[in-house]
Amino acid sequence: MKKKLMSILLGAAMCMSLLAGCGNGANNNQTAAADSSDSSAQTGEEQAAVPDAAGDTADAQEQAASGEKITLQFWNVFTGSDGDILREIVDNYNKTNTDNIEIQMDIMPNDQLQQKLPAAIATGTAPDFVLFGVENLAPYVSNDSLEDISDFWDVTGVDKSNFLENVLELSHVDGKLYGTPMQYNVSYLYWNKDLFEAAGLDPEKAPATLEELSEYAEKLTDSSKNQYGLALPTNVTYMQFLWANGGDADDPQTNANLLDSEENLETLTWLQDLMVNKKVSPENITGPEADTMLQAGQIAMYMSGPWQINGLREQGINFGIAPCVAGSAGAFSPAGGCSYVIPKGTEESHKLAAYKFMQYWLTDDILKEWSQRNGFPVWSKTLMEDPEIQNDEVLNSISKATEIGRSYNLGYSLASQIDNDVMIPMFEKVMTGAATPEDALKEASEAMDKVLAQ
Amino acid sequence: MTNNKGKRKRYQAQNQKCAYLFILPSMIILSVFVFIPLIASFVISITDMNIFMKDVRFVGLKNFLRLFEDGRVRNATFNSLYFTLLEVPLQVGLALLLTVCLSKNNRYSKLLRSVYYLPFVCSMTAIGIVWSMLLDPNMGLVAYWLKQAGLETIAFLKDPKFAMPTVIVVTAWKGFGYTLTLLAAAVLNISQSLYEAAQMDGAGSFSKFIHITVPGIWPTISFCIVTSTIGAMQMFDQAYVMTQGGPLNKTETVVQYIYDRGFQTAPYDLGYASAISVYLFVIVAVMTFVLRKFILSRGEDADE
Repeated sequence: MKKKLMSILLGAAMCMSLLAGCGNGANNNQTAAADSSDSSAQTGEEQAAVPDAAGDTADAQEQAASGEKITLQFWNVFTGSDGDILREIVDNYNKTNTDNIEIQMDIMPNDQLQQKLPAAIATGTAPDFVLFGVENLAPYVSNDSLEDISDFWDVTGVDKSNFLENVLELSHVDGKLYGTPMQYNVSYLYWNKDLFEAAGLDPEKAPATLEELSEYAEKLTDSSKNQYGLALPTNVTYMQFLWANGGDADDPQTNANLLDSEENLETLTWLQDLMVNKKVSPENITGPEADTMLQAGQIAMYMSGPWQINGLREQGINFGIAPCVAGSAGAFSPAGGCSYVIPKGTEESHKLAAYKFMQYWLTDDILKEWSQRNGFPVWSKTLMEDPEIQNDEVLNSISKATEIGRSYNLGYSLASQIDNDVMIPMFEKVMTGAATPEDALKEASEAMDKVLAQ
Repeated sequence: MTNNKGKRKRYQAQNQKCAYLFILPSMIILSVFVFIPLIASFVISITDMNIFMKDVRFVGLKNFLRLFEDGRVRNATFNSLYFTLLEVPLQVGLALLLTVCLSKNNRYSKLLRSVYYLPFVCSMTAIGIVWSMLLDPNMGLVAYWLKQAGLETIAFLKDPKFAMPTVIVVTAWKGFGYTLTLLAAAVLNISQSLYEAAQMDGAGSFSKFIHITVPGIWPTISFCIVTSTIGAMQMFDQAYVMTQGGPLNKTETVVQYIYDRGFQTAPYDLGYASAISVYLFVIVAVMTFVLRKFILSRGEDADE
């Protein structure tokens, strides 16, 4: 067991030192050409670990002046089809930028990145910048592992007020900026119009309330055809349902446990009825399995992020996008997004070069390309005025569904533990019928107390 | 005679120096990847180190006390034991059964032995993915066959009752070829004269198997039992790939929980994860000790 654990650790560390070794090597050669005395002081890997601020600024100026090439290591988690588009944009940037910056991109699954990055930062072998989901920010910030980039707007001159406040807010922890937003998303309700028509429902009208959702889902389920009305994977949380009835999980500001409430009990009872009695969803599926079944036309309704759109288009599914359904307290949807972050210890010249790329990303041309090709909502105010964006059917339905975005434990360092130890087990027990809603809620509330007590 | 002995001693001493030189490369690899990490995990288990490795403090036995109050550790221990107690007999029993059928060294047996060995060569990850696709209740081939046959589909890996048994069967299916190969090699070493003598005494094939084959290959059988028990207690990949520990943590083993605490759930508590791994180390050490004492000593008796 230790063998396995440690070999994973060591393996990761070795990979990292290899990668970083290459990066630094390339780097050193270039500095060597510019200034041999400087590079001799910087040889070795400590260079990244202990950046000499003054020396690096001088270095940066020199490089800018002489047009020295800067190679940036860039890790991200875009393993899907959107990763290809991201690669195109980065390649294009490498070809066209006038600052002689070259970005070397490394794509890996989120799991793997979250294992490698902290160790890489601790050993001074981290990449120059990273792109990951904003829900990961908090643990890094509380361990002082990311650069505070609050000076980004002043240094680059990008107009901060052009972007939606709530999107920028996602990249802040304790009022400081730790990432520049790359994309923004909430969960939508996807529905398959053909299946709606076959079941005798109006194909242009998505369910708007919890009652409608369960009523439609029941009509759309046909187990003889292996067709399900709604897919609800068991390894995720369903804050949209709890919020819809006015319930909540916790308050990150006051560390309060809000689980044990009548509203939550009502929601969970409804959810158990939907899953266990009405059997509208395949049993115990995972997110990726639900994605596949949605694309195969076996699932009529599914709540997920914008990344479904390309897959559905490719499979020729006739689908619609609606906001998540409302309950007695309204409709909400958990908001998320991805941000570019700079690991602690990145040298100043590389940090500035990464700023330049982030600045490039925040231009309307790139944001427009990203939104149109991937179906992600637009959050730049000038871009919203763009006639092409305004006439894009998918983006239009998305922008409506995006208005109900609500932040869930973002920036809270206990978020991942609350999800894995409290919320996901609770939903799983309720949805599989392993416990009554009362017991599941009580148990979850006790588990929540334990987590919050830390 | 004495002269000869002295010579041999000197020769052996030289040889021994040489031998250390030869084992040096593996010693270095073992130290770097086994001994040092082993000691490191003991040390980490009494700290509050997380994956960021900042502000590490010694916390004494706090992690271990926490471990004994953690329901998921109990659940994971139960699952690991459940897996081991069913998987090892299944794998070794299946191999033993087939050994009887395939112990002749003809072309047919050789072919079948190679075929059974094939899954062992494949990576557990690939096998896990293929099996979870086959067994998927909505898109899988097995579900389709069951449906064609007019039977109710079983959600093998998704049903809390069936998930662990399914993982056990897949693991045994993957591993029995290796056990089979070891056992078959041992069987071929048993002298034919014993069988002939037994035949003359009027022994049937069953009593030949019980009284000649099994005692003859007992050391190999016990080796297989001990190694697969250690392997089974450290089970990780198959559950990680096929079930991710679910449904309802029914297939979460100790190693998976270690991985979850150390690398999946923030704050990536390496101290606690190491404490659980020390706990598992102790369990495996005790089990190995007991098994060796009872099974291997019985093997020695049989030899005598």
